[in-house]
Amino acid sequence: MALPVQERWDLVDIIARKTVAAGAYRQNLGDVLGDLTVRPLTGIPVAFAVLYAFWSIFSSFAGALVTDGFMVKVFDSHWLPWLQGAWSDPASIHYFLFVGDPLAENCFEAFGMLTSGLFVAIGVVLPAIIIFYLMMTVLEDSGYLPRLAVLMDTVFHRIGLHGYAIVPVILGLGCNTPAVTATRVLETRKQRFIMMTLLAIFIPCGAQLGVMLEVIPDAVGWVMLFLLIGFGIFGFILDRIIPGSNPEILIDVPPYHWPLWENVTKKLMNRTKSFLKDAVPFVLFGVLVVNVLYLAGIIGALADLFEPLFVTWFGVPKETVGPLVAAFLRKDLAVAQLSAIAMTPYQMITAVVLVSIYFPCVATFVVMLREGWKELAAAVAVLVATVFIYGGLIHAVGILMGVA
Amino acid sequence: MADTSRTVLMMGNPNVGKSALFNRLTGGDAVVSNYPGTTVDYTKGVLIENGQEYEVIDAPGTYSLEARDAAEDVAVRLISENPGATVLVVLDATRVERGLYLALEVIERGCPVIIALNMIDAARERQITVDTRVLQRILGVPVVPTSAVSGEGARDLAGMLRKAQKVDIETVRARADGQFDTPEQSGGCTGCGGC
Repeated sequence: MALPVQERWDLVDIIARKTVAAGAYRQNLGDVLGDLTVRPLTGIPVAFAVLYAFWSIFSSFAGALVTDGFMVKVFDSHWLPWLQGAWSDPASIHYFLFVGDPLAENCFEAFGMLTSGLFVAIGVVLPAIIIFYLMMTVLEDSGYLPRLAVLMDTVFHRIGLHGYAIVPVILGLGCNTPAVTATRVLETRKQRFIMMTLLAIFIPCGAQLGVMLEVIPDAVGWVMLFLLIGFGIFGFILDRIIPGSNPEILIDVPPYHWPLWENVTKKLMNRTKSFLKDAVPFVLFGVLVVNVLYLAGIIGALADLFEPLFVTWFGVPKETVGPLVAAFLRKDLAVAQLSAIAMTPYQMITAVVLVSIYFPCVATFVVMLREGWKELAAAVAVLVATVFIYGGLIHAVGILMGVA
Repeated sequence: MADTSRTVLMMGNPNVGKSALFNRLTGGDAVVSNYPGTTVDYTKGVLIENGQEYEVIDAPGTYSLEARDAAEDVAVRLISENPGATVLVVLDATRVERGLYLALEVIERGCPVIIALNMIDAARERQITVDTRVLQRILGVPVVPTSAVSGEGARDLAGMLRKAQKVDIETVRARADGQFDTPEQSGGCTGCGGC
């Protein structure tokens, strides 16, 4: 038997009055900080500082310290020459598949399963993932995320979402798959659809960010800018054309906590483990597939087929078709592959943006399918249109700037 | 239909520490964060207490049984899919009222209920006291203070699972309105935990 809502609240009141007593409470430092970080006047500068700190620690630790300082040396000066010498018969198919180019001087260009594959997975992406998740865990466990959600609410309302959409966005910067599931915190189908579509198109994952930092350190800012602008423009358009509502939310803002050491290490361990278990085999397998497709002449044929579109419309060399095929398996791999193609800096920026916005990786695709095939189909339609329009737009910007 | 009498379904508002408590009870590794909506899907685990094996399900947080989003929908579906399951309602001791609303809704559905008064350490720190015995007497279901962060009360909670009670909401209302400080004369168990 169920009570009417009001009677239930009345009963709650009576029970609470008889059981709960609140003594005098003194505000502590956490409460004061909690308040300051949620008020726009003080909160917005803090939010910028937090996000900037996040990015600089991420890029200096993953890119400069671990990868350049250690991994590149290990892989390029020891592992690659050793493998090139030890693997028999440089002209054979197995050499091409596993070691790649016998003349390559670094592990990006070699493009064999055991050279580029291992280097991308372990040398570049693993350190990026670890530092990213370490910092994300601090954001998650401290209680800062809901405050960021409050601050972002007005902005997100312009694109048919509300502040809480920041949660899937931040999760998506780590990996898009849990982010797609996290869209369940949004109330309406319209919101979920917009969020999933924007995630799949414009939010690069941590692995991809790690590789971008390594191969195009000077252009990462540009790529992120183009993605951010695209996120805004296409969110705005989707909000206008998708029927449905975007209700206001009440956000439950929890008090700040110190992250618990055991919880942080546990989450970090689990996320790293699942990267090693699920993602690394995909990277290695991806290199193998792309190499087999090259050998079979399929990538060459696709490149010729799409040449007019790529060269005339997007303004990038036709060879970028290969990385786009790889991008379906792993985006990090695709970006790594792009680095070996001769391009102008602007073409490189365009190509990396294309890899990002073009099809979600296969893991994200599967998770989106689980959330609903109709949404997935519609998202793919939006995606094709977006790649075409936005790719051309970026080319046009390049022409206007005289750099394309 | 599968026997769900040994199933323990954990329900509660978002960010009250359900997943942390779940990890304490089952040794599982459900993801724990400090923001509402971390859990958007359920996690299952096993708890063995006194030779009795329970299947424990950590549901996404929900404010009521009327789902507001897809994550809450998962929680509400779990309660219909597991009739007969013991519902462990997790309350945030610093915000009892909000959680009580959901607890009453669950009681009204006729589920056997037990309540964990979680974050009891945070409540103490904030000078909030909850009279567990009175709450237990009024609701007629066991109420166990816990702190998932420190582990306080988790053992007691596991031991009390078998004492979860189905209660009639009208008797709850009567007890809430009545003179609660005189001993109850009703025959049934009041979940005082003294047995």
